[in-house]
Amino acid sequence: MASPAQQLPPGWTAEWDATHQRYLFIETHTGHTQWEPPAAGPELSPQPSVSPPPSHHAKRRQYAAGQTQAYYGVGDSLAAVPQYSAAAPQPQPTQLFTPGLAADGQFQQQQQQPPPYYGGHAEPEYINAPQQPVYPVQPPSQMGVLADQFGQMTMGHKGLRLFTTNLLTSPPEPLELRQPPPEIFLPPNSCLSQSPYANADASYQRCTLNAIPTTNSLLNKSKIPLGLVLTPYRSLKEGEEEVPVVTDTVIARCRRCRTYINPYVQFIDGGNRWRCCMCSLSNEVPQLFDWDQVRNQPGDRWARAELNHGVVEFVAPTEYMVRPPQPAVYIFLIDVSHSAIQSGMVATATRTILENLDRIPDENGRTKVSIIAFDTSLYFFTLPSGGAESSMLVVSDIDDVFLPKPTDLLVNLQEARPALETLLGRLSDMFQDNHTVGSALGPALQAGFQMMAPIGGKIMVLTASLPSIGVGALKNREDPKVLGTPKESGLLQAASPFYKTFAIECSRAQVSVDMFLFSPGYQDVATLACLPHYTAGQTFFYPAFNASRTEDAIKFAHEFGKVLAMPIMLEAVMRVRASKNLRMSSFHGNFFVRSTDLLAMPAVPQDLSYAIEVQIEDTITAPFVVFQTAVLHTTCYGERRIRVVTTALPTTSNLSEVFASADQVAIATLLANKAVERSITHRLEDSRDALFNKMVEVLTAYKASMTAAGAGASAQLAISENLKMLPVLVLGLLKNVGIRQSAQIPPDLRAYAQALLTSLPSQILIPYVYPNFYSLHNMPPECGTVGEHGIIMPPPLPLTSERLERHGLYVIEDGQTIFLWIGRDAVPQLVMDVFNLPSYEVLRGGKTTLPVLDNPFSQRVTAIIQKTREMRRGVYYPHLYIVKEDGEPPLRLWALSCLIQDRADVLPSYQQFISQLKDKVSVNSMPSFAIFNWMFM
Amino acid sequence: MGYAGWLFLFAVLMAAGLLFTAVFFMIMFSDLESDYINPVDLCNKLNQFVLPEHTAHAFLTVLFLISGQFIAFLLNAPLLAFNVRKIMNQNHVYDATEIFRTLEPHKKEIFIKLGFYLLSFFYYLYRMILALVQESP
Repeated sequence: MASPAQQLPPGWTAEWDATHQRYLFIETHTGHTQWEPPAAGPELSPQPSVSPPPSHHAKRRQYAAGQTQAYYGVGDSLAAVPQYSAAAPQPQPTQLFTPGLAADGQFQQQQQQPPPYYGGHAEPEYINAPQQPVYPVQPPSQMGVLADQFGQMTMGHKGLRLFTTNLLTSPPEPLELRQPPPEIFLPPNSCLSQSPYANADASYQRCTLNAIPTTNSLLNKSKIPLGLVLTPYRSLKEGEEEVPVVTDTVIARCRRCRTYINPYVQFIDGGNRWRCCMCSLSNEVPQLFDWDQVRNQPGDRWARAELNHGVVEFVAPTEYMVRPPQPAVYIFLIDVSHSAIQSGMVATATRTILENLDRIPDENGRTKVSIIAFDTSLYFFTLPSGGAESSMLVVSDIDDVFLPKPTDLLVNLQEARPALETLLGRLSDMFQDNHTVGSALGPALQAGFQMMAPIGGKIMVLTASLPSIGVGALKNREDPKVLGTPKESGLLQAASPFYKTFAIECSRAQVSVDMFLFSPGYQDVATLACLPHYTAGQTFFYPAFNASRTEDAIKFAHEFGKVLAMPIMLEAVMRVRASKNLRMSSFHGNFFVRSTDLLAMPAVPQDLSYAIEVQIEDTITAPFVVFQTAVLHTTCYGERRIRVVTTALPTTSNLSEVFASADQVAIATLLANKAVERSITHRLEDSRDALFNKMVEVLTAYKASMTAAGAGASAQLAISENLKMLPVLVLGLLKNVGIRQSAQIPPDLRAYAQALLTSLPSQILIPYVYPNFYSLHNMPPECGTVGEHGIIMPPPLPLTSERLERHGLYVIEDGQTIFLWIGRDAVPQLVMDVFNLPSYEVLRGGKTTLPVLDNPFSQRVTAIIQKTREMRRGVYYPHLYIVKEDGEPPLRLWALSCLIQDRADVLPSYQQFISQLKDKVSVNSMPSFAIFNWMFM
Repeated sequence: MGYAGWLFLFAVLMAAGLLFTAVFFMIMFSDLESDYINPVDLCNKLNQFVLPEHTAHAFLTVLFLISGQFIAFLLNAPLLAFNVRKIMNQNHVYDATEIFRTLEPHKKEIFIKLGFYLLSFFYYLYRMILALVQESP
């Protein structure tokens, strides 16, 4: 079309308005529209990125000319391909990160740009730091200008500016998900400290709104759910700062609301008293607060960690202990029935335990372990300390479980090490010829529980069969006819009450359960996952595990090893306190709610996420509010500690600020939790409807209050820039295995996906909902090499199969699986370089390990896969699947189902989804819509 | 006193008993909310009373049916059906793991039951008096 779009300055698009028969000009990053064609403004005029991107051919690998054409596509067609055929032509956005970045100057420019968050503390939540253009819709040259604007904003009027964007014309931009949440603009002097760490980092605790509405009606007007998403105990990668520890056991707390002292309190009365930031009560400062106990001299109050850091750990004095800190206890329940032995699970598991004995946290030599094997009987092993021989005791009475021996079953790891090593070495061989089918999981759990009940600790269950006898026996209730019908959610509920009542017993005795499930057939993951769910453990599922495939064995050994080595928190309770008039209303995640706001977690693994919905009970008058999460726990090294995570957020009475401060990643995490809960208590369909309606509500609210259109039809579907990715995240949730409409998903896979949706922290959850998609055959030359921030990843592509070229090589990964997609016209040279095979035809699809080859392209691909596996926190080690374009249909469909912007069966494509939303939003100016409100939120 | 009189006298006593159970449930729930009791104890305690309460109500309803008090029976039938459905779906017991999530619906249910028992108490009382008055002219 001969549109004026081509003559527009960058940052503008033109759209044909049918009603006025003329072009409408839209400034994409502000949402500003006008009828006059925009002149290139002074700040926009120097425009290096308009010049055609430098050619890469010189830098690319040198293949024969014809092949190169086929291999890389013609010219830079990638950048020119419009992402949406229906959308207006977009001259500029794609330029920025694909070829534009390759020019060295620009690349550096991006790296040097000031991080917009926390001053010098640039900790990328989503890895791939060098590719973190903070304003991807802006050409790089505007960065300076924009940074200046931000500078002025922080100095002048404090607050966030609302940028409206039109969803119809701006397709989702994967890089936006890597941006930090909207900045928190606290009122001046609210914080005692100038430290950039005074507010907890978003990876520990983030709120769906970074400016809290002062009244509930304002919140309701915005329709955005208010909630906290927290991971109080997360792992630290190399180079990340440790959580500071306050060792002098001087813990200042508010007398009334029990808030811990934090950077947002006020010192009054010459520093002798402090005013609580939550309830405004004035408290005395403890006498030893200004005393340095290590050097025995007056200390500097302002240097105390709790006044400078949002995340601190206090060493707790004896008042915080019900009993002395207990040692860490690990009991392994290993299924040795026929199927478990056959799959090689037992051999792999025992080998992994053996190899990781040194990594099990045991700093002061107190850790205790025990091993119980079970099929339809229970096998106990005595591990005499000092001796090298263990003996086996068989208990076949599973109706009334008892321990065959009072001592030597639960033993000290160090003392019984030789016996343990021999046992682990032999265990798999001992049961080599075991043909017993069936599993007495319930009795085995009871036995483990009896053994450790006085101490508490962790039970690790490794089982490959459906529990069939004794308490907790389950039936195979998988019924293909039920799938896809309203009755399906019944399969996601616990089948036997045992797993709930036992979980409560465990929680009381400080016992946590981890489940590793391996069944080749139906295993009722939904029921078994109840135990980890209510005892704060984790579920891992390896469907059709077979250790003779090295990939399976490596994945399990890697994940199991990491779980063993993980320093866990024991005997923990968590409580979230918040400023007056804010109330924690409901809790999602793996724990047991022991009282209205106390969460019991017998053991806290690293990198589990919890979501808490917050209610505004009355008008908030304070200029800012504080959320404080306190986790009282015993470290696995036998020290009682309190981890305190404090987040302060400003309040606002301005609806546009509420919208501008919304954190789409946190909202998506909260919605995932709510959707899963709803799918269990109601029907899967209800949970999908609720998700869709929530999205409609937010859009309707935005349209009614923030755009000129108000009620009635409009050609736009407006949303603020910071919520631009929310629709596609919701679409991703609707298409996730846990929630998707389908009659083909086995209930086990669904239940596991739901367990993941409710326990993954945002960093892992977001790719799980909105996978990453990279193209490898034409990635810029620096990708896959080691850059300033580790391995440089290729720029992510939008998740649509339009981007798949027939000769290409692509990676699609969602944090749980990695697909290496290879097009059917892939040149032999590419296949040779990556897979060491002569041609595409001989390549086999399926689980694989890439060969390490001596050519730069293979090394870069391997490096990218490696980085994909390591860049996130958490223990997951994704499988790598090779998917051939014309390969086996199930695998192909599975890989394609990750491309969520495409249409799949009944599930809409992104454009269809957006137009559905738009239709709904235009209809929804009617009051009948209010019905949905109370249904979901 | 004829059989109708005795029947409604019995019904009045039953309704009073059911009324007390409902009040007890209400008190326990508010205890839970204000943290005087933990959810495990609460559920253990309440679950002892769920089945007896349902049985008592079912017994009364059946008694009305066989004694031909159809109005009284029809009044009680919906609640009976509701209780039976709950037992069939096996969600009549309180689940300690979900109690905080389901507290509001539970409270609402108990509140409605309380109202129902109160009304039926007065209805039975009225019918009893009516029966007595009719007997002794």
